[in-house]
Amino acid sequence: MDNLHIEETKYTPEILLNTDGTISLTGKSYPENTFEFYAPMIEWIKQYFTTSPATTTTVNMEITYFNSSSSKLFFDFFDILEEHSENNDITINWIYDEENESALEAGEDFIEDFEDLNINLVEK
Amino acid sequence: MQSNTLIDEITHLRDEFELTTNKLIKDIKRHDKIMARTDRDQLRELKKLEARLQEVEELQQSQKELLDSFIKLIASAIDAKSKYTGGHCERVPELSLMIAKKASESNEGIFKDFSIDTEDQQRELSIAAWLHDCGKVVTPEYVVDKATKLETIYNRIHEIRTRFEVIHRDKTIEALNKKLNGENATEVDKWLENEHKQLQEEYAIVANANIGAEFMKDEDIQQLKHIASKTWIRNFDDTLGLAHEEKKRVLQENSTTPQIEYLLSDKIRHIIPREYFDYEQYEKMGFKTKVPEHLYNLGELYNICTKAGTLSYEERFKIQEHVQMTIIMLEKLPFPEYLKNVPLYAGAHHETLIGTGYPRELTIDDMPIASRIMAIADVFEALTASDRPYKEPKTLSASIRILSFMVKDQHLDKDIFKLFLSSGLYKEYATKYLKPEQIDEVDISQYLKL
Repeated sequence: MDNLHIEETKYTPEILLNTDGTISLTGKSYPENTFEFYAPMIEWIKQYFTTSPATTTTVNMEITYFNSSSSKLFFDFFDILEEHSENNDITINWIYDEENESALEAGEDFIEDFEDLNINLVEK
Repeated sequence: MQSNTLIDEITHLRDEFELTTNKLIKDIKRHDKIMARTDRDQLRELKKLEARLQEVEELQQSQKELLDSFIKLIASAIDAKSKYTGGHCERVPELSLMIAKKASESNEGIFKDFSIDTEDQQRELSIAAWLHDCGKVVTPEYVVDKATKLETIYNRIHEIRTRFEVIHRDKTIEALNKKLNGENATEVDKWLENEHKQLQEEYAIVANANIGAEFMKDEDIQQLKHIASKTWIRNFDDTLGLAHEEKKRVLQENSTTPQIEYLLSDKIRHIIPREYFDYEQYEKMGFKTKVPEHLYNLGELYNICTKAGTLSYEERFKIQEHVQMTIIMLEKLPFPEYLKNVPLYAGAHHETLIGTGYPRELTIDDMPIASRIMAIADVFEALTASDRPYKEPKTLSASIRILSFMVKDQHLDKDIFKLFLSSGLYKEYATKYLKPEQIDEVDISQYLKL
């Protein structure tokens, strides 16, 4: 399978999905239609785990601002990661700015919800 | 076997149902979390926005204050530059606003649709009034152009008087020569006495005309021309001691000596040419006042023959030019929408109701009430001001009488004039700004009948 790269726009993040197991989302997340926007990413990650995942997968997420449907989508995304956490060494780095309370709170919500996932809160 | 399959299926369905239920419960819990977090986010955003709004408001306020200070800075520069204007720029806005507020309260006649209630409208009028004379910043002062040590604003009557003195002595010498030549001493003395007497009389005529208090009739001008044609002999080179510009003009004349000179003359040197005048721009700005050919004409006979007042045609234009400058300067400023009338208000304070004013020769239909109010405020302040070194302040009644003449001539608005009187504003203003000795009784009933 191929790597997937989605360019950053004013309201959507840059998304890098590499078959070597490095994944990153960087920027803001206010898509007009969130589920449509992230559909290729969700499709890719499902295929990644079912075909040829790397032994370790590192997800760096640095989403400064995001709407509530993006929050919902990240939960769904983490659900998929959690499903495969037994067979794959997955690390999620939730990167936030020290002054961004909202991003910190979201990161805390994710940790609370996904006991089996290794989520690190990384202050910039 | 069959029942086992059924049990398996039921078990399977139950498990699936449980899974779905769990997923639903999880989703609902997540949803609640997201909602709670979104609510907190919204509150934070709202607080941030409020803080920014406050910041913007504070910035706006300080910008307003900065603009006001700039306006006052310009106005006080004009007032300070010329002792002829005193506190004029400061009092005209005050008086204009006083009248505008009264006009706003009134629902009669022309004031029916006039209102200046909002802070923005008052600000617009106030700024216009503060800046109505801002063009005076560029009115030339002799100091700026002073080219020689002795150059000054100079009343040339002193120079002309010196020439009378010269002729006076010439006559005395002529008389002594006559006696030396053996003419009858008694007759020569009588002749000299007559000549001297005539010179005194003629000088008094020239000196009186110089003041400009009386209107000059055609016969007065003829008489001045006759006196001016008297001659004296100049023995000194009058091209010495001059700066470049003046010398250039003087060298166009015949300056060999001795030279017969007229007592009062109009010479080439007296004409200051008009250079670099943009007639196209002038027309584009809608200025209608006729532009004099020369910048200045300093001719002695020309000036002494000025029919009314002391200003020549060229000088009157130069003075009137300040309103043009006011308009040009203000129209360059990017006023926000609510201040867009500032140039219009400020630039129309010397217009009349019948197209005889300047610089655009507007008529009543083109003159907003605010401009007409400023026109009255401008004249009334100038008449009553006690801080002008060149004139005695007028009494309240005399000032209002002059206003009434200007109303009759349709130079000032009748309705605003009457409102100014009937509302008692004239008294209010007088109490605040006039000296006690200026304030006298005014019979306003005669003017309210106008």
